[in-house]
This record gives sequence, C-alpha cells and structure tokens, in this order.
Amino acid sequence: MKKIKDIVLSVDSSLTIEEQQYPTICVSPNQLRKLAEKLKENGFDVLLNLTGMDYKEYFGVIYHFTSTQDKKAMVVVKVNTPDRENLAIPTVSDLWASANLYEREAYDFFGLQFVNHPDLRRLFLRADWNGFPFRKDYDADPKLNPVPLVNQTADAMEDLPSIRFDKEGKLITEHKALFDKNEYVVNIGPQHPATHGVLHLRVSLDGEIIKKVDPNFGYIHRGIEKMCESKTYPQILQLTERLDYLSGTMNRHAFCLCVEKALGIEVPKRAQVVRVIFDELTRIASHLLGWGCMCMDMGSITAFIYGMRDREKIMDIFEETGGGRLMVGYNVIGGLANEVSPKFVDQVKEFIPYMRKMIKEYHILFTNNPIAKGRMENIGFLTKETAASLGVTGPTGRASGWSCDVRKIEPYAVYDQVDFQEMLRQDGGTFDRYLIRLDEIEQSLRIIEQLIDNLPDGEFKAKTPAIIKLPEGEYYQRVENARGDFGVYINSKGDKNPYRVKFRSPCMTLISALDPLCRNEKIADLIMIGASLDYVIPCADR
Amino acid sequence: MIQYIKDLFSGIWNLLQGMRITMINFIRKPITEQYPENRGVKEYAERFRGELTMPHNANNEHKCTACGICQMNCPNGTIKIVTKQITTEDGKTKKALDKYLYDLGSCTFCGLCTMGCPQKAIVWSNNFEHSVFRRETLVKQLNKEGSKTEEKKPVTTPQQ
Amino acid sequence: MLTFSEIISTIHEGLTDALPGWLATTIEYVIIGAALLGLYCVLALILILLERKICARFQCRIGPNRVGPWGLLQSVADMVKILLKEIISIKNTDNILFKTALFLAIAGSFCTFGALQFGDGLACIDFNVGVFYILAISSLGVVGILLAGWSSNNKYTLIGAMRSGAQLISYELSAGLSLMTMVILAGSLSISDIIAGQGGMNAEGGYNTWYIFQAPTAIIAFIIYLIAGHAETNRGPFDLPEAESELTAGYHTEYSGIQFGFFYLAEYLNMFIIAGIAATVFLGGWQPLQINAGWASGFNELMGQIPSWIWFMGKTFALVLLSLWVRWTFPRLRIDQLLKLEWKILMPISILNLLIMAVWVII
Repeated sequence: MKKIKDIVLSVDSSLTIEEQQYPTICVSPNQLRKLAEKLKENGFDVLLNLTGMDYKEYFGVIYHFTSTQDKKAMVVVKVNTPDRENLAIPTVSDLWASANLYEREAYDFFGLQFVNHPDLRRLFLRADWNGFPFRKDYDADPKLNPVPLVNQTADAMEDLPSIRFDKEGKLITEHKALFDKNEYVVNIGPQHPATHGVLHLRVSLDGEIIKKVDPNFGYIHRGIEKMCESKTYPQILQLTERLDYLSGTMNRHAFCLCVEKALGIEVPKRAQVVRVIFDELTRIASHLLGWGCMCMDMGSITAFIYGMRDREKIMDIFEETGGGRLMVGYNVIGGLANEVSPKFVDQVKEFIPYMRKMIKEYHILFTNNPIAKGRMENIGFLTKETAASLGVTGPTGRASGWSCDVRKIEPYAVYDQVDFQEMLRQDGGTFDRYLIRLDEIEQSLRIIEQLIDNLPDGEFKAKTPAIIKLPEGEYYQRVENARGDFGVYINSKGDKNPYRVKFRSPCMTLISALDPLCRNEKIADLIMIGASLDYVIPCADR
Repeated sequence: MIQYIKDLFSGIWNLLQGMRITMINFIRKPITEQYPENRGVKEYAERFRGELTMPHNANNEHKCTACGICQMNCPNGTIKIVTKQITTEDGKTKKALDKYLYDLGSCTFCGLCTMGCPQKAIVWSNNFEHSVFRRETLVKQLNKEGSKTEEKKPVTTPQQ
Repeated sequence: MLTFSEIISTIHEGLTDALPGWLATTIEYVIIGAALLGLYCVLALILILLERKICARFQCRIGPNRVGPWGLLQSVADMVKILLKEIISIKNTDNILFKTALFLAIAGSFCTFGALQFGDGLACIDFNVGVFYILAISSLGVVGILLAGWSSNNKYTLIGAMRSGAQLISYELSAGLSLMTMVILAGSLSISDIIAGQGGMNAEGGYNTWYIFQAPTAIIAFIIYLIAGHAETNRGPFDLPEAESELTAGYHTEYSGIQFGFFYLAEYLNMFIIAGIAATVFLGGWQPLQINAGWASGFNELMGQIPSWIWFMGKTFALVLLSLWVRWTFPRLRIDQLLKLEWKILMPISILNLLIMAVWVII
C-alpha cells in the first residue's frame, strides 16, 4: 500500500498530515471528493466511522478510514464547512456503502447537506421534526416539537430527497419515491417478534420473494450521545452499557480505555486480566443469546430456552462479582469497581467444562439438524467486498472472510498476551455466520481458561483524580464487542464534560446489510438473515 | 439415487439425534426458580445492587454527613439531600442531614453514589421487590425519622 | 362385563319404545351430538394442558403449576379468560366471510372427530366409505383457514393463508396415499372393517395382529402418514401458516377472544384426530395388542381384559406425545423445503409403497 503521505500529496500538495493517534488530514469540502477517491483507490476500502461535529463557528465531519488489506492502517479525514450557513459537503456514499446511513445520521443531527446523496431522509427523527438536535445552539423547547398525535404518513417515509448543485451552482432538492405505486409492501415491525427490538422494516414483496428492504430507525433513540455532553465521564459509563446491552461490559471497557488513554493512567495488570475475562464472558453470553434467538426465529423455541439457561450461569457469575446481571457496571475508569468475589474463580472454572459440554449438545440438536441446515444454507451471501464497503465487522464480517478482529488488530488490555485464534470463514453465508458464533464461544472459553488460573496479584484499581477532566484533544478507542468493531470518539475541551462523544455502533452497519443480503430471498429468509446478523436495536439507535 | 437414499437416512439419523437431546433434557431436573416460594431459600449475590439503603445503628444513627457527593455523582438526579443547620455541643452551627430522598423510579443502579461516599453511609441492599402502586411511593426517605449522624462522641443536643 | 354397545342399544330401545320413531331418532342425534361436543371440548382442554406441561419439560421448565393442583385447572382458567375476552371487530374486513371462516375450520375438524371409533361399539358415523369420508371432510378445514386469511384484509394473514393452502393440498396427497395403502391391505374403506381386520381370530385360527405388523410396507405408510398428518395440523416443524417469527400469528392474527379460541381448539383437536386415525388404521384402533403365536395366548387374553376405549385413547395419546416431541425439537421449514419434502420425498415413496402393497396383497 502506498504511503498515506503520497496519497495525500497526489490530491493537493498543500495538504498536511497531522500525526495524532492516527494520521489526520484536514481538507476543505471541495477537496474531499478527490481525496476520498484516492483513498479508496489505494486500498482504504472501509469507512469505519463518520462523526458529525459542531465547532460552534462552523460544522465538520470526521471520517475514520481503514483497510482490509493493511488492517492496522487507519487514517482520519476532517472536513470543515466554511461557516454555519454553507453546509454542503460532497457525499462519499457511492464509494463506501456504510456512508449511506452515517451521512443520513449526520444530516439528521447537524443538518449537514451531503450533496448527491441518493437518500437524504432523516435517520432517527421524524421528517417533520424541527431543528437539528446535536447542534450546540439547538432549542430543546418542547413547544417546537410537541408530541405528535398522528402517525407519520407512508409518503413522508418513502419520499427520498436528494440534494445536488444545479447549473448555476445553487443547491436544489430532488424527490424520488422509495417504492412504486403497485408494489406489495409489508411492514415488519416496529412491533414484531423477529426484529429483536423496535426496528421497522418496510419490505417490498413479490409473492414470498423480497424485492427491497428499507429499515426505519429511531424507535428507541434516546440521544445518548447528546446526553453524554452534559455528564461527567464516570456518569457516561452507565450509558455505554445501555447501547448494546448484550455487550455492555465491552462497551464500558471501551469508554474506560479511551478515558484512561487520555489521562495516561496505567491500569493494574490484575484489573486488565479481570476485564478481559469479563469481556469474554459477556461475549459468550451474547453469542448464546444470539444463537438462541436465531433458533427461535427458525421456530425452535426449545433451543432458545437452552441458550437462555446456559446464559443464566454467566449472569450469576456477573451478579456475584459485579453486582449487576445485564448492566454489570464493573469496569470503572482506572480499573475495576471492586475486588473480585472469592467465589469468582471457582464459578468460572465450573462454567468452562459445562459450556463445552453444552456446545456439543447444541451441535447435535441444531447444527446437524437437516431442517436447520436447509434453512441456513445457500441464503444471504455477503461477499468480503460488500462487507468491507458496508463496514460490517464482528462475527458477520469474519464469516465473510474479512479479518477484522480488533483484539488482534489493535490489542488492548491483555489480548496480546493470550493465545487465541481469530475465527474466519470464507463464504459469508447465513450458515457461516451461525457457525462462527459457536466457534467464537470456544475461543472465548480458551481465553478465559488461560487467564483464570493465574490472576495476577496487585491493586484492582489505579489512582484516579477525584474529578476527571480530560486534556483538550480527540481520542478514539476501538474494542471488539460481541457484534463487531465498537468505537468511542471523545472530543474534549478540557472540561469535566466531553465536548462531543460519538459511539461507532456495529449494529447500524449490520442492519444496513439487510437490504443487499435479502434481495431475491424469501420472506422467511429475511428473518433468518436478520437473526444471523444478530443486531441489537438500541445499539443502532443510540 | 444412492446419494438420495444416503441423504435421506443421514437426515433421519440426525433428526433422531436431535430428539435424543431433547429427551435427555426432558429427564433433567427443571431449572425453574419457584419464586415467591423460594423467598428466603434462594441465596442472592451479596453485591447485587437492588436498592439504595442507609444503615442505622442501634442508637438510630447513620453515618451520612450530608456532604452531597452522592447527589453530585448521580447521573439522573435520583438522590436529593435536604440539609438543616444544627448547633453542636460547643455552640457551633453545623450542616446536618434532614432528609435523604432517593427516587427509586429514576435510579439506574450505576453505583456511583456508593463508590463515591467517603463515609460509606449508603450501601446497596439485595431487595429487588420494588413494585408499588403509585409512582410517588418510589421516592423514599432513607434516613429514619429522628435519626442523627453518628459521631465519635455522641451529640447530646436535642434534635430541632 | 357391560360394554358400550349394550348401553347404547338399551338407550336406543328405551327411546323407541316410549316415543314415536322420528322423535326418538331426533333425541338420539341430539344426545350423540352433545356427547361428542362435550368430549371434543374436554379433550381440547386436556390436550392444551398436556402440551404445555410436556413442552415445559422438554425445555427444562416446570410449566403451569399455579392454577389448581399441579396446574391442572390451567386450561380451564384459560378457557374462562378466552370466553370473557372482547371480540374485536375490525374495519374493512369481509365481515360475513370473517365470521364464517372459523365455523368452517371447526366444523371440518368436528365432523372428522365424529368418524373416530373410540371403543368397541363407540362410533357415531360408520359408513362403508369411512376412510374416504375422513379424507374428504378433513379438507374442509383448509377452506376455513383460507377464508380467514383472505377476509382479514391483512398482509400477514393472507401470506399465512396462502402458505396453508399450498401446504394442506400437498400433504393431503401423501396422507391419502398412505391411507389407501392400508385400504388395499384391509380390502375395505369402512372403518369398522379396518378395525375388525386387526383383532380377533382369523380364518386360519391364528390371531389377527395390527396392520402395522402385517406388512413391512405398512410401517413406511405409517411413518409417511404421521409426517403428512403432522403437516396437515399446521404444527411442529410445519407451522408455516402461523410462523410467529415471520407472520406474527399467520391466518388468525386478526381474530380475538373466542373466535381465536375456535381456531385454537380446532388446531389441538386436529392433532388428536390425526393421531386417532393413525391409531385406527395402523395400530388397530381399540383392538388390544395381540401376538400371533401359540405361546402368547395368555398374554393375548390379558390384553383383551383392558377396556377397548383405554386401548384407543392410549394409542392416540402415545402418538400425540410423539407429535409433541417432534414439535418441540425441530425448527420450522421454509415453504420451498416444505413442498420439496412432499413432492420429492414423501410422494414418490408413497406411490411406490402403494404399488408394493398391491403386489404384496396379490401374492
């Protein structure tokens, strides 16, 4: 891969690269398009994250790019608008499919106008919402946005605005309809047993064959990123667990790591090891639930109950040591909240052989079952290129052959000291996504097994200042949560509250993969594919 | 044709294997917890964050000095401390706790209050049976009526 | 020992003596209808409770255990609740069809239920074309399901109903063919004849065993019938018409209260009816287990002492349990797999089986 410097200089020789945590390039909106094309040509085929920013005088967008070939390569591109009025920024959604939803989100929250974006609807809020809530001058007066008493019409949901420059250089908006008049559109959700939460899918059908899927987000949007701006860092921790509640520990770990990195705190070894054990237990619990839900969506409720039964054992371990079951709340900035419980080691040691035995049962009950196999095989293929373009990470990305495990790419805590295998599969089918979760459970058990016997002695928490203020700057931390690459971006102005927090949610990209995966499959497969992606809606909606 | 028959029989065999697993589980002991019958029998983890409480000793004294750190730490405004001025033995006026109000309805059980408490005056109890009929009932006063702050030497001035 | 046929003939004689013929017949019909309806409802309650208990055990749970001792009154409580629920009427539905559909569904299953022989002499309908009647009348239920799906004016119900139509029409074939296989062996379409051929002494002085033991092809026909019958009840791995993870509740999404209760009742009873027919045709109906060997005469005698209705119910419930076991183990099929299973596997095998059986009987 060419050096980033060469790529940047080939766009404009006046551009400079700032050496921060990742190489950072600041460009103007006019230069963005050219730089983006060059980056894409030179192997940066993943748009990991897109953060909208309000700098008070002007707006900005921060892009995090990475690559499937050179996994450690990461480049940050910053685009700033000239002022608060001219908000046109060229879209990159034709280069990276993941930008489609990201740009819609930035438009929704900041009103940034992505020129030539094919579908610039609001992502989370209703089309008739007044104002852009993440702007610093947003007026949160409830009178401006009263609680709506009528439903949004289908027309408002299906009207795709697109902004482009006309011949005289003015911005004009064009409208297009999402579905044809005579398409048979079925609403799946927001209240539906198989959408795993309040996701609304509008599905166009031809008999039982799916022609188009249009996800509609925002039913459980809580504005966590906005809430973070008015909370102190320790207070934000509890919100991270409520994003993807099934990998709460990992999300919390990510935030802790980000703050610790900013403060330069050295976390005691003991805390790091326990954190990793907790992360892996959470991963097992999450995959068990994912497995169970997938079985249940296939109609095998018994298997779901088995999954929940075994997940319960992990919940008990969490309860004993962390004090919470789903919201464990065990990681704090600087280390752990408590010393581990005296029962902890025994409980975990008891759990490992039990889980191994149960996985064998799962394989006999379900993996080898010809009906289940028939349902999962030959549907929903996701190629590596599409996965990278959509930014689909985690088990789903790895099932498509994209080695995207953050634990290996940017090892954090003690992941570089344990021996485990990154599970990879090549086909990217639904069955691969199913199998990779069960394989990852085994790998997680391996990690726990290595760590549980020799918990290092020492402190469980480093000394932290009483009031945590992050030095001015930007911090980004990636961790591998149960669904993929979870990222935390913190922009601090030196206060005890962050200036902007952005969570890179793996679930939003997973949901965006539904449409390409489900086309020309049957409606029963939509459920299967959705279950195999294993998304959690609160993580996508935030 | 041979493949067809082979597939047929291996399919049936695998289906029967699956039925064997469910039968094994049929015989296993059910894992259901019989709540509320198992009240007092089932053990809960000591650290389980069920409800915020303020322990009092035998003299109806607690350790809270009304410093307000928990109120400040709380992300949701769950804790409200009402203070009053009292006069100590040696004639000084001093801030003391009047009411420690805890709104269970908005608590997210993050634990920042107990972690930050310098006196360890508030602790988590295991009680998880929170349901009440009215939302107002969820706002609880944690310090008992007529209680006072525990000190090394007991304060003799009467409560105002 | 007093048999059912004696009780029934006593009632019959008493009535005809005391009343004019037409009145006696009418009263008899009413009594029979009421008795069947009562049995139908009681069986449904038992089946619902049974299913909930059994499925709980498969899932390492306890199941309903709060209402009554061991939860025995749970389904009574459910019934009361379902009777008290408001029947929601929905705008923009085809009201007449919407309300007729559930009667068609339940009438189909009830008429089939009447053709079962519960014991020695405990039969209401006994045609010389009994098997044909069962096959014909049980298909009536699908009309109800199709109408329900269509008239609800809901996309989910429509998809569910269409799936159900495709499924029932397909599986009717192999169910019919496997029953025909047995008709060839029995040489009669009459249910009484079929049962009579599976018990008692034969012409050579040996014992007649159940049909399933009389020919190897009968075992294949039995398995095919169980699969096809299971599919016809819309349960277990074949519950596509009401696949709750895709279509919320399929064709009965829009029904509430007792209207839903009717579909629910019909579904559970269909499970019993399919098991009952299988028990009748393959496992000798109410005939006791007999072994055709000289040394087993004592055993046969002992088996004969057990009342006939226990034999029938025992066999039927054993088959119901099997069906529950299957249902709570396997995931659901997709519509194309479902049709493939029928047209590519079950159909060819049953046709072949029918031919072999014909040859077997001739030889």
